[in-house]
Order: sequence, then structure tokens, then C-alpha cells
Amino acid sequence: MSSMDMPADAPRQSARATSATVPAAPRLTWLTLALMTTASVASLRAAPTMAVYGLACVFLYLVPAIVFLLPTALVSAELASGWNGGVYRWVSEGLSKPLGFLAVWCQFAMTIFYYPSLLAFVASTIAYIIDPALASSGLYTAIVIVVLYWTGVWVSSRGTKALAGLSSWGLVIGTLVPGTLLVVLGMVFLAQGNPSAAPMTASHLFPAWTGLASLVLIVNNFLSYSGMEMNAVHVSSLKDPAKEYPKSMFLAMGLVLLIFILPALAISWVVPADQTSLTAGVMQAFDAFFSYFDIGWMTPIAAVMLISASLAGMLTWLAGPSKGLLEISRSEGYLPPYLQQLNRFGIQQNILVTQGIVTTVIALGYAFIPNVSNVYWIFSTITTQVYLIVYLLMFVAAVKLRKNQPDHPRGYRVPALTLVCVVGFLASAAAMVIGFVPPSQFGSNSVLLYVVIIGCGLGALGLLIPWAFLKFRKPSWQLEAAREEEGA
Amino acid sequence: MSPTRFASEHKWIYYGAIIVLLGLVVAGLVRYKAITTNNKAVSKANQLADAAVEAGLPRPDTELIASVLGTDGGLVCDDPASALKSALWKINVSNGAAFVGQRPVIGDGRALRAEATIIEIYCPDKLDKIQDRLDDLKTDDTVRR
Repeated sequence: MSSMDMPADAPRQSARATSATVPAAPRLTWLTLALMTTASVASLRAAPTMAVYGLACVFLYLVPAIVFLLPTALVSAELASGWNGGVYRWVSEGLSKPLGFLAVWCQFAMTIFYYPSLLAFVASTIAYIIDPALASSGLYTAIVIVVLYWTGVWVSSRGTKALAGLSSWGLVIGTLVPGTLLVVLGMVFLAQGNPSAAPMTASHLFPAWTGLASLVLIVNNFLSYSGMEMNAVHVSSLKDPAKEYPKSMFLAMGLVLLIFILPALAISWVVPADQTSLTAGVMQAFDAFFSYFDIGWMTPIAAVMLISASLAGMLTWLAGPSKGLLEISRSEGYLPPYLQQLNRFGIQQNILVTQGIVTTVIALGYAFIPNVSNVYWIFSTITTQVYLIVYLLMFVAAVKLRKNQPDHPRGYRVPALTLVCVVGFLASAAAMVIGFVPPSQFGSNSVLLYVVIIGCGLGALGLLIPWAFLKFRKPSWQLEAAREEEGA
Repeated sequence: MSPTRFASEHKWIYYGAIIVLLGLVVAGLVRYKAITTNNKAVSKANQLADAAVEAGLPRPDTELIASVLGTDGGLVCDDPASALKSALWKINVSNGAAFVGQRPVIGDGRALRAEATIIEIYCPDKLDKIQDRLDDLKTDDTVRR
């Protein structure tokens, strides 16, 4: 790395890491980081859902890519090529340290409620493989969630290297290989002279416009690209972060787009939209697809591939936000010492264990009060609302950093950064506003009730809890090493 | 990929993951039974295709329907009204995100009704159990046909 590429305060950072006895970050290649980023954002799980929209799924993924993916990826590429540490560091430097804590807290807190729903999906897919009747068993679902989550914690606690390998391979085996197969078979289907099951005319490029429902669909799809910036927390593991991170981000951006659009399109060519059932879920769509080609036996293999992709994604989410939360907490004393402790691999094991206790409690809900799981979908709205706080802060911080620290070395500079940030900020704000519109699941209940539920959830998880940490923190929570550095 | 791969000290974690996944593949292949298409399956597939046409949709491939839904509706009719399946179903009426960005949307009415049509034809005894769930949904025509 040339001296110009080295962030100005990198020596300070490394001194801090050493004095805080954090083991040196393991090396990752830019390709591994690109695969980790892709694994944390894209998989084939959403393909059957989007295939229902036919050719319009291209529009539904491209528009959000322009207004949300591009700003997120470009801005995080610039910030990570200039500052180590990920979103907490960017917001801390650009705005303030408490806001940096808020940003990484929001990135972390939203995953707490996300794991149970992801793992419930994995449990239902495993049930499809071994015995579909199990999918109706709450006890089975809870056991699978708990076992997989704690196994993930155990793997994550072995260090970044272990999970980087597993998540990269999970993406290749679970998404890239079956995704390519779907697209090739879809093309074979068309090449055989079969008409596409979904109309492929120019007028079908746009989704039907029905007012609010269409707006909700389009704007909510911005969130499909959530998480592109999350793995920037590992940027110090790259040999030359300034040059390699932007490269990694651009590759991930291309892969994410291809994984989202092409397989969904291929399914829409072969499987009629009216034949997919959301109860039977993703596997039914894959079964229909493979059955056409008389390779129905591929369905259980595809199910295992989907499971590996989902678990690969979960691993990246376990490791990323919790690491950022740890780093700012160690330097500023924002969390109690227990949560700041590291294991011998330098991993924030106690944060993961604490998070695991909450996940286990939610999982037990599936076992003992299955009817309550009917409202778990509300969590996904609340958590995505909380996540949008991260993006709002990130875009403001990027503009501030360019203004206040224009000469800080960056490996990559976004052209027209302010415009890009304004677009990204407005897209995030629009997604947050749309998050208050009741979806299908809320039925005919009061709109005001929905707004209150989402508003309270957002306020409690995204503002009240981080405020409480900041308010009630004690000077003794700050590590000795960080205090010495401040004094110096 | 990287030196993080099999050349690391974490080989046994990788091996463990491979063994578990291969075990699932073997279990899946052993348990997988291709649905046998017979006259009854084709007849039910024709009923479903007719229903699709009545609903203004293009006529789907009946052979494909027969090979997926068979005579008993397959996965669709497998306890569709259970609390857990209902919970997963509600989570699936969502946007195009695969991970943390997944969020509910206002679903397409006809696409959501498609399931009721399948149940009506293949396992009508279970229809009333999910009818309430469908009736309570707020939907719109978001899919261009």
C-alpha cells in the first residue's frame, strides 16, 4: 500500500488495536469480500416471489438499483477506501460519535429479529427435504432455529477466516450454481420454441400501476439491496483496502443484480404465476421448474443449496454488525465491559451470545405459542425501518466528510457525491415513509394502529435503547487502552 | 476465492458442513418421489387450467400442473392452515429482498387467490380453513396481465 493510499489515521488505529489486545485481522482477498457481500444481500429465495411479476421484475429490481443500490455501493466504496471500521467509523467521523454508535446499533439491532424468520424459512426447507409434515410443528421449527443459530455463533466465534470461507462457498454452491442452472434451463425452454408463461412484451416491462399498492411494491423493493455496506467492517482485512474495497464492491453489485434478476425471469418463463403458492413456498416453484425438464429429483438438491445460501448469508450478518458495535464500544465505552470482551480469536463472543438469548426466546414462541408467530411479519417492517436510519446517517456523513475532510486520502472518489447522496437519502426516506403503509397482512385493521405499532417499534429499537446505552454508560466502561490514547 | 478456503486451520468446520449438506441431499433424494401423472391428475390439472382462464390468465401447461400437484395438491394441501405455515406465508407476501431487507407489501389479489383455487380443486375440505385468512387480506392488482 502506498503512503497516499493509507488513511491518515491508520497508524493510530493499529496502535489502538494492539494496545487493546485485539488479534491482528486475518487477511481476506477482495474476491472473498465481494462474495461475502453478495452472500449477505442476494439469494434465490426471492426469485419465485418476484417471478410472479414476470418481465416487470426487471423494472422492480433496476429502479431500486439506480436510486438505492448505486448510491449505497458507491458511497460505501468511497468511505471504506478512506476509513477503516465500517459505518460506525464513517458516521462518527462525519457527524458525531454518539450518532456513529446509533448507526451501528441500528445495523446490529435489526438482525436480532431477522434471524428467527430466516431460520424458520430454513427449517421449513429442511422439512421439505426430510418430512414435509414437520413444517407444521412448532417444536421442530424452534429446535432448528436454536440449533442453527448457536452453531452459527460457534462458527463465527472461530474467527473471520472460518466464516469468510463458509459464506463464500455457501454463495457459490447455494446461489451461483443453481442460479446459473435456472437461467440456462430457462433459455433452453425458450430455445425449444415454448412460449413464455409470463408475457414478455414491452408493455409488460412495467408493473401494473394501481396507485398506492404499486408505490409500496416499488419503493419497498429499494430494501432488496440492504446490506451492501455491511461487510465494510472487514475492510482492514484487505491487503490494500483503498484499491481493493471499491473493486470488491463493484463485483458484488454486478453479482447481486444478476442473481436477483435473471433467475426470477427464468422462473417466470417456465412456471405460470397462477401456479405458485405462497404456502408451499419457494420449493413448489422450483419443483414446477425442474419437473418440466423431467429432473424433478433436482428439487431436493436445490433445497439443500438454498439452505446453504441462507446459512452463508446468516454467517456474514452474525459477524459484521456485531463487530462494528464492538469496535465503537471498546473505544468509547458505550457498552458494559461484559459485552466488550473478546475470545481468543478476537471475536465479540459475548455480544453474539446475548443476541442469541433474544433469538432463542423468539424461537421458543414458534414452539409454544405458534399463533403469535402470525405477527412476526411486523418485526420485518420494524427492523427494516430501523435499518433505514443507518442509510440516512451514512449519506449525510459522506457529504460532511467530503466537505470537512476533502484531503483525507481515499482510494476511490464518487463523482458528483452530493447528488448521489441526495438520491440515496431521498430513496431511504421514501422507503421509511412507505414503511408506515399497512401491507396485505394487516387486513382491514386501523391504519392509525399500524402507524402507532411501527412508530413505537422504530422508536424503541432504533432510538430509545441506544439512547439508554449512551445515557447510562459509565466512565469505567471505556477500556484503559482507549483512555490512554485519548489522553495522548 | 481466497486463502481462507480449505488451506486454513478450519478444515474440519468445512468438512462438517459438507457432511451435513450431503446427508440432507441423500435424504432428499431418497425421499423424493416423482409425482405419477395419471388420468385423475390430468383431469384435476385441466380443472385448474380452466379456472385460470376464467380468471383472465393465460392457460397454463396442464402436464406441468399434473406433475407438480398430482392428484392430492402436493405441498399446497399439506396442512395449509396451520399457524406456522400461515406465519411463513405472511412473511412471504413481501418485496424482492432475500435477506434483511425483506418487508411485507400489498400483494396481488389474483396471485394470492391462486392458492385458494388450487385448494378448492385438490383438497376442498381444507378451503374453509384458509378462506378467512384470504378474506382478511388487503390486496390489489399489482401484476400486469
